[in-house]
Amino acid sequence: MKTLSLKNLRKTYFDPYAGSQVTAVQDVSLDVEQGEFVSVVGPSGCGKTTILNMIAGFIPYTGGEILIDGNLVKGPGPDRGVVFQSFALFPWKTVLENVGFGPKMRGVPKDERDRTAREYLALAGLSHAADRYPNELSGGMQQRVGVVRALANNPAVLLMDEPFASVDAQTRMTLQEELTRIWQERKPTVIFITHDVAEAVFLANRVVVLSKGRVLDQIKVDLPRPRVWDQLIEDETFKRLSAQVLQMVRAA
Amino acid sequence: MNIALKFWSGYVRATHRWPIIATIVPFIPVVAIWSIVANSGMFPRAFFPAPVDVMRSFISLTYKGILPDYLQDSLIRLLFGAAIGVALGIPLGILIGSSRLAHRICWPVLLFFQAIGDIAWLPILLIWFGFGLTTMTFVIVYTVLFPIVLSTVLGVQSVHRDLARAAQSLGASPMRVLWEVTLPGALPNIITGLRNGLGYGWRALIAVEIIVGTSGIGFMMFDARRAGSTVEILLGMIVLGTLWYIVDAWILAPIERATGQRWGLVTS
Ligand SMILES: Nc1ncnc2c1ncn2[C@@H]1O[C@H](COP(=O)(O)OP(=O)(O)OP(=O)(O)O)[C@@H](O)[C@H]1O
Ligand SMILES: [Mg+2]
Repeated sequence: MKTLSLKNLRKTYFDPYAGSQVTAVQDVSLDVEQGEFVSVVGPSGCGKTTILNMIAGFIPYTGGEILIDGNLVKGPGPDRGVVFQSFALFPWKTVLENVGFGPKMRGVPKDERDRTAREYLALAGLSHAADRYPNELSGGMQQRVGVVRALANNPAVLLMDEPFASVDAQTRMTLQEELTRIWQERKPTVIFITHDVAEAVFLANRVVVLSKGRVLDQIKVDLPRPRVWDQLIEDETFKRLSAQVLQMVRAA
Repeated sequence: MNIALKFWSGYVRATHRWPIIATIVPFIPVVAIWSIVANSGMFPRAFFPAPVDVMRSFISLTYKGILPDYLQDSLIRLLFGAAIGVALGIPLGILIGSSRLAHRICWPVLLFFQAIGDIAWLPILLIWFGFGLTTMTFVIVYTVLFPIVLSTVLGVQSVHRDLARAAQSLGASPMRVLWEVTLPGALPNIITGLRNGLGYGWRALIAVEIIVGTSGIGFMMFDARRAGSTVEILLGMIVLGTLWYIVDAWILAPIERATGQRWGLVTS
């Protein structure tokens, strides 16, 4: 069953200074099955963030359709969880309150949403940080909270725009491994945007390459799971797929 | 040298335990010099009273109930005006801060009216509303309003766009976003605005009471001038300074620090 479906999606921005339209997304069609992990790569400015923001409902689209479980997207909603590069944790709420925010908006009573939040924090190995404020956590821990906050709300699709771009390289590898582990446990549908070709291949079932607002090509990634860097870094298939994607991105 | 250091260390530790010492000690030389000049016979005492005279007047006016009554009148006027200012200023600031259109339309007008100082309104207010509470309240609301609006706008704009987006995609309605994200995010700035606004309002109130008052600390001071009582004028000035110091340093500043620092929005 198709969870997410983009049909001839198009976006133009109006530039009030030039008085003209700028095309950010030309024509993108894409279907994502339930439980799929799709990475989206492409050169800077090819429209990745624009597409993700349209799916999230943060910005309107100019043409085409976005369907979530068959329903037309008209604005932000809890069926699409978003993980931000800036983490976007609420600084005045504890980690527990951040993770329980989605259930709170649904009217779930406090002890029940606290239980859900603790369960998800345990999933990310963050039980000890439940009562801390975000500014007391490292960047890596903050983004773990960002991920489980989105997951705890049980979205149909999890949208991530370069979520690990602002943490250091070691932490990034750990976060990537944890994300694949969590994905295996919960099987959320994920759209993951990144610049990093190795990251895209490491995480995904499928890599979509964008170029100038269009889908250039797609590659299936049939690497076995669980995926860990120590093994994959030497893996011939991983190396071949990464090289292939890299070539497409550079040619894009 | 050693003794001086020991004394200093004792002072620092004492102020740490009783912060009020740090407030009072700097005033000791001020009061001492004042006292010496007043007692030196350089000026007539009725023209330049000594601290003891002011103290005596303080006790007598407090005992008669005049000072507490006037103080109460002034404070109630300030709080009444400030409450209206807050009730108007925060919504207006949120509107201007969150809507680009509202910002474009309101901002120049806002800055224009801010430039007309509160007291500059008095001539026309006296014609419109006469010598009374309406005129006084108008001036205070006017004074309190601008700092609150301007800092609320700043506060709302300082909330990262992704925070509102995160809340929306976790299922928050626009009202919930306002309540859970915009307001707490803007709170440290709003409190700074309130603190400034109350400070300006307090000063404006005294000026207005001098001109239109029939009671209040400003009125007391101006009335004392008519009677030639320098003691009461000085007493009024000291009450103003002391009271504001207490409100600002002991109430407003700690609240301002507490909200910002705890959340890491302000670096300590
Ligand atoms: N608000 C906007 N107004 C006008 N043009 C915009 C706006 N946002 C994006 N664009 C343009 O749309 C195009 C696509 O931008 P987008 O941010 O989606 O690219 P991206 O693939 O995410 O790039 P990056 O990899 O650098 O993040 C760019 O040419 C950009 O300049
Ligand atoms: Mg981008």
